[in-house]
Amino acid sequence: MRGTFLAAAIFIALGVIAQGFWFPADARISLEKCTLCHGKPEFRKILVDGKIRDLFATADSLKGSVHEKKTCVDCHFDVSEIPHRQRPQRVTCTHCHYKGNAEGAPQSDAYLEYFGSVHGNAIAGGNTKAPLCQDCHGNHSIHKTKDPTSAVSRGNVAETCGRCHIEIYAVYKTSIHGVAVSQGIPEAPSCTGCHGEHKIYAHKDPKSTVFATHVAAQCSTCHGSVSIMSKYGIEAEQVTTYQNSFHGVASGFGSRTVANCASCHGVHDIRPSEDPRSMVNPKNIPATCGKCHPGANPNFAVGKMHVDSHSKESGIIYYTAQFFKYLTIGTMLALIAHIFLDMYGRTRRLRGDK
Amino acid sequence: MGEEPRSPVTVERMSVLFRVQHILLMVSLLVLAVTGFALMFHDNWLAAAVIRLEGGVLYRGIIHRSAAVFLMAQLVYHAFYMLCSREGKRELREVWLTRRDFDDFFLAMRFNLGMDSKYPRFGRYGYKEKFQYWGATTGVFLISVTGIILWAETFSMRYLPKVVLDLTLIVHGYQGLLAFVILLFWHLYIVHLHPSVFPMNRAWLTGKVDAEWLRQEHPAEYEKLKGEGVI
Repeated sequence: MRGTFLAAAIFIALGVIAQGFWFPADARISLEKCTLCHGKPEFRKILVDGKIRDLFATADSLKGSVHEKKTCVDCHFDVSEIPHRQRPQRVTCTHCHYKGNAEGAPQSDAYLEYFGSVHGNAIAGGNTKAPLCQDCHGNHSIHKTKDPTSAVSRGNVAETCGRCHIEIYAVYKTSIHGVAVSQGIPEAPSCTGCHGEHKIYAHKDPKSTVFATHVAAQCSTCHGSVSIMSKYGIEAEQVTTYQNSFHGVASGFGSRTVANCASCHGVHDIRPSEDPRSMVNPKNIPATCGKCHPGANPNFAVGKMHVDSHSKESGIIYYTAQFFKYLTIGTMLALIAHIFLDMYGRTRRLRGDK
Repeated sequence: MGEEPRSPVTVERMSVLFRVQHILLMVSLLVLAVTGFALMFHDNWLAAAVIRLEGGVLYRGIIHRSAAVFLMAQLVYHAFYMLCSREGKRELREVWLTRRDFDDFFLAMRFNLGMDSKYPRFGRYGYKEKFQYWGATTGVFLISVTGIILWAETFSMRYLPKVVLDLTLIVHGYQGLLAFVILLFWHLYIVHLHPSVFPMNRAWLTGKVDAEWLRQEHPAEYEKLKGEGVI
C-alpha cells in the first residue's frame, strides 16, 4: 500500500516536472486571464498627450479576422505574467509572417519589400510615427485584402493611408479616382494602385513607381488598356500619343524635368477636363502649361492635345502624314528609276559616241 | 571608261570657297540627319542608341539646333554670295533654272527610253545638278521654317492652332526624310555611282575635273571653255 502510494507520488511529481519542461509555467496565459482586465469596456489608459488609448479586448476581438484561432499571447508573446508590469512591446508580425513559417501564416515574403520602403526606412531611422504592419492592416480585426471590411481593402485603403496622409487623402477623395473608388468601380486606383503596396517609395526616389520617369508607365497600366478604358468611355490612345510626343520621348530617355502625365493632369487631384477645377480644363490650361512654358496663353487650350498621326480620326494630320509617306516612297522609286534609265541611256550614248 | 587614256588636262569646277561651303553643308546636314532621324524613329533601337550617344534628348536637341543655326547661317551667306559676289553672280547665271532644263530632262528621258536619238548637250550644269541645287536650297529654306516654328514652341502655341504645330512636326520630319532620300539617290548617283565618276567625283576635294569628262558629260561647257581658250 505504502509502495503504491510512493509510486503514485513519484509519478505525479515527474508529471508536474515534465509539464514544467514542456510548458514554462507562465507561458500559456489563457484568454480568460487577459479579459479579467481587458474585457472591461471602460478599460483604457490616458496617455501623456491626453489621448485615450482604448485597451478593451475580448474573445470577440479576433472573431472573423484571419487570426481568429490565435490567442492573445500568440502575438503578445512578451507577456509572461498577469498582470504584466510593463507595457507589452508592439507586436512583431514577422514572428510568423515569413516564407517557410510553420504557424500557418501565408507563405509570403511580402514583408521584405516593406523594409526597403519609405515606411520601413523611416521606422529603421527611429521615426516612431512611421507605420508598422498593424498600422495599415489593423491590429485585432485583420482581414484578407479581398475582404471589403479589411483596412487595406480597395475601398478602405485610402482612408487607412489618410489617417497619416490627411491632406493628400482629402484631395484624393474628391478626385476622379477617389470618387470612382467610392462608387465601387473595381479598376479605379486607390493609393496602392499607383504607389504600390509594401514597396512604397518617396516620389523622388528613382525606385518609386511614381518617380518622374515612371509616371507614364504607371498610369498606362490602366490607361493604356483598351479593355479597361473602353468600359468607361475613356480613350486608351492617350498613352501612345504621349509616348510619341516631345514630352514622352524625352521622358522615355530619362528626362526628369519634362512633363509627364501628372505634370498636366495633376497628381492626387486628377479630374476630368470638363471639371472646372481640373488642371486640364481649358480655363486652367494657360496656368498648367505656363508652369514650364512661361507666357502660355488661352490659345494653348485650342485644339486637341493628344494627337495620333497614325489614326484616321486625326483628319488632316493623318492625311498629311500619309501624303508625305507616299510622296517619299514615290520620290525614292522615281529616283531609282531615273538612275537605271540614265545608266541604260548612257551606254547607248557612248555607243553612238564612238 | 577605265581603259581609255585619261586626258591629263583638268579644269577647275569648284572654287575653294565653294568647296568649303560644300563641306560645311555636308557636315551640318549629316549632323542634322543623325540627330533628327534619331528623334523621328526613337522607337528603333539604333535611334535610341544614337540618342543615348548624343547624351540624351536634351543634348540631342541642342546639337540639332546648333547644326540648324549653322545651316541657316550658311544659307544666308550663300544667298548673299550668289547675289552679290562676282563669282556668285556668274555661278547663279549658270545654275539658274530655265525652261530648257525641263526640256532637257524630258529629252534625256526620251533618249534613255529609246524614243529619241538626241541626248541633251549640257552646259556647266545639267538638269541633274540644277534640280539638286534648287531642291536642296528650297528644301533647306522650308525645313528651316518648320524647324523654327517647332523650336519656338511656346511662341507658336501662343499664336498658332495646335493642329498647325502637329502638322509642322510631321512636315518637318518628312521634309528631312525627303531631303535625305533625294541626297541618297540623286546626289549619290551623279557624283558617286555614275559610271563616268565612279567611285567618286573628286571635284569636291580637288575642285578639278578632267576636260575629257567635261567633254562627255557637259559638252556645251567644254566647247565654251575651249572657245575661251581655257582648255
